[in-house]
Amino acid sequence: MLGLFGTLNLAARSMSTQRAGVEIAGQNLANVNNPAYARQRVAIATSMSIVTAAGIQGTGADAIEITQLRNAILDNQIQAEASNRGALAARQLALQYGQAALGTQIDTTSTAGITGGNSLAEGLSNLFNAFQSLSTNPTSMAERQTLLMKASSLALQFNQLDTRLDNLAASLNTTIGAEVASANQLLTDIARLNDMIRTAEITSGATANDLRDTRQARIEELAKFVNLDITTDASGALNISIGGVDMVSGQQRLDSLEAYDAGGGQILLRAATAGTPLAITGGSIQGTIEARDVGIGNLRASINSLAAALITEVNAVHSVGFGLTGGTGENFFTGTNAADIGVNAALLDDPSLVQAAGVSGAPGDNQVALALARLAQTKHPALNDQSFNQAYSQTVAAFGQELATVNTQLGDQQAIENMLLRQRDALGGVSLDEEMTDLTRFQKAFAASARLVTVVDEMLETVVNLKR
Amino acid sequence: MRVSANTFSDTLITQLSQLAVRQQKLQAQAATGQRVRLPEDDPIALRRVLDLQNDYSTNSQFTENIARQLELAQASFDSIKALKTISDRASEIATLADSLKSTPELQAYATEITEMIKQAVHVLNGSHRGDYLFGGTQTDQPPYTMTLDANGNVTGVTFQGNLDIPQVEISNGVLASSQVIGENSTGTGPRGLVADSRSGADLLNHLISLQNNLLSGNVALIASTDRPNLARDEDNLLYHISSNGAIQARLETTRKLNEQHNQSVESQVSREVDADLAQTLVKLTQTQTAYEAALQSGARALNLSLLDYLR
Repeated sequence: MLGLFGTLNLAARSMSTQRAGVEIAGQNLANVNNPAYARQRVAIATSMSIVTAAGIQGTGADAIEITQLRNAILDNQIQAEASNRGALAARQLALQYGQAALGTQIDTTSTAGITGGNSLAEGLSNLFNAFQSLSTNPTSMAERQTLLMKASSLALQFNQLDTRLDNLAASLNTTIGAEVASANQLLTDIARLNDMIRTAEITSGATANDLRDTRQARIEELAKFVNLDITTDASGALNISIGGVDMVSGQQRLDSLEAYDAGGGQILLRAATAGTPLAITGGSIQGTIEARDVGIGNLRASINSLAAALITEVNAVHSVGFGLTGGTGENFFTGTNAADIGVNAALLDDPSLVQAAGVSGAPGDNQVALALARLAQTKHPALNDQSFNQAYSQTVAAFGQELATVNTQLGDQQAIENMLLRQRDALGGVSLDEEMTDLTRFQKAFAASARLVTVVDEMLETVVNLKR
Repeated sequence: MRVSANTFSDTLITQLSQLAVRQQKLQAQAATGQRVRLPEDDPIALRRVLDLQNDYSTNSQFTENIARQLELAQASFDSIKALKTISDRASEIATLADSLKSTPELQAYATEITEMIKQAVHVLNGSHRGDYLFGGTQTDQPPYTMTLDANGNVTGVTFQGNLDIPQVEISNGVLASSQVIGENSTGTGPRGLVADSRSGADLLNHLISLQNNLLSGNVALIASTDRPNLARDEDNLLYHISSNGAIQARLETTRKLNEQHNQSVESQVSREVDADLAQTLVKLTQTQTAYEAALQSGARALNLSLLDYLR
């Protein structure tokens, strides 16, 4: 038999056990709005039984462990999806900036009617319409000045668009640098947390649940920047590698990320110590790089091709013409691409030098002006056998299609991630109603145990007072 | 499935966000009347619209070109009419100048013919917007020069222009010109206005011949040579009058076709870009109702808690 003192001890341990339950419920309630927290449960088990004359008797219950309700599979899935979403979100943002830089939009409510807008499409149409207008009156200085004005405006549009895209690429490079710094800080944090978890678990012999929650949050935050490969070693520490290079092993940070210039302003990612270029496939850093090099890069290349073809084709026709004063051989455009396209300054200074005639000494001749105007309908091999306007439309449509696709993918990705988060929340999220119920339950059990103490105390009093 | 404290609020936030985005998009469509505004909205439709807008702009320019050509045609017609008047009077004089007329009368006729030659040259040297009308592409100098003798009689006229007529695009791939050249003695190419070897017309030289025959009193030559020549000149001018009318009619027809084409393009753009207002407003109302319902139900559910019932 336990005896009175044994029972008193049983009651005291029961109170301690119920108090642990209350504390854990309190811990859960305190962390109800902590998204990184997984609810905890106190595991209560019966204490060791003893053999008595009346049989095997229990000796109460003890709180043997504080467990955390977390699913490693869900955590890994969420981490992977965070990388996917980070990449898509970064691509979407960069492509939206690119769309804004392009400045092409349909506005049928503008006063210019269905041709309203101020994009390159309008600029190209205006240029070739000005050539058409010149062909009807080649000796008119007014027509020549209008032509040069439209051409200058178009050249400026090309320059400005190229500058905007260049600035955007530079901004994206800056973003990559900032995100690399954040990722490196997170790698340091994870290594430190590995160390803290190891120390706490060795010291206490129990699972360091809160530290593990914090580490998981850091990992998911890191996964948004770059996709990770995670392995667990024998000590329970998480080892992280990125792009095949080990970054964290146990409590040591072996390497870090570094953004470097691969040439031509193309900022890429490599391991800082090993110097190995990293082939990453997820995360916002990868998304930003892809948007910069593929989406924005292709857009810029297409605009440059368009500008180069325009300069080459127009100059080829214009240079063989004759101006009002009989001059020939002048180019219409200067430059080689969108960044430096401009109108020949000599023409701007003296519009009579615009070479609209096909023969010398015949100022009313308009053959070159007409040929320049008809370039608008010509299919150019350098533009995949499309006219200038068709090539621009194709460029804009392709860019729009890429952004539309990313929008759809991001929507789907967010739905998937939300489902996984809801599943994790269903397992490890704190329910106020549950915790309040547990609180009440443990409180009542504590009160009952305290009552047992009171009863045993009275019994002891009775025994003691037997001998007076 | 177990629902935690944050499951409901997170789900509510997500749903409200989605409804707000949808609401904003529909509201923008209703306000602008457009389904497609940015490349991401509908890239294929946007591409078609950009191509249509270019088509519209080019067609509008063709209409401007036609207007310019019609202007030229009208200016040319005024000159041709003036030349026809001269030709008619010259034919009349050639008929009146017979053996019954006295020398002073014939001299008077000659003087009139001399002035008519000068008038014809003046008309042929007419310009429009600073360019000479009948010199081909030699628009910077008068097409005709005239030489006079000591008595002021015209002894010769020289054509300084060329036979090139600048063509202008009036529709996609279609070239036209309403310009006329003063004369063409080559036998090929555009028909000269006052002289053409194919029709035998040579108005100015025929008028000079008439002037000289009147001055010399050679009425027989007037009857045998000048009168038939002037008839050929008149036929040539009639040809140009009808040709001018034909080109103006062609230009007007092409302009109407261009305008109809542009109206069709506007309809096509509208089909691609415009939002169906009725459908948009219905969807907007549905979305707003769903948003309101989500807010109301969310507010009620968020307020429920066990804490309200525990003593």
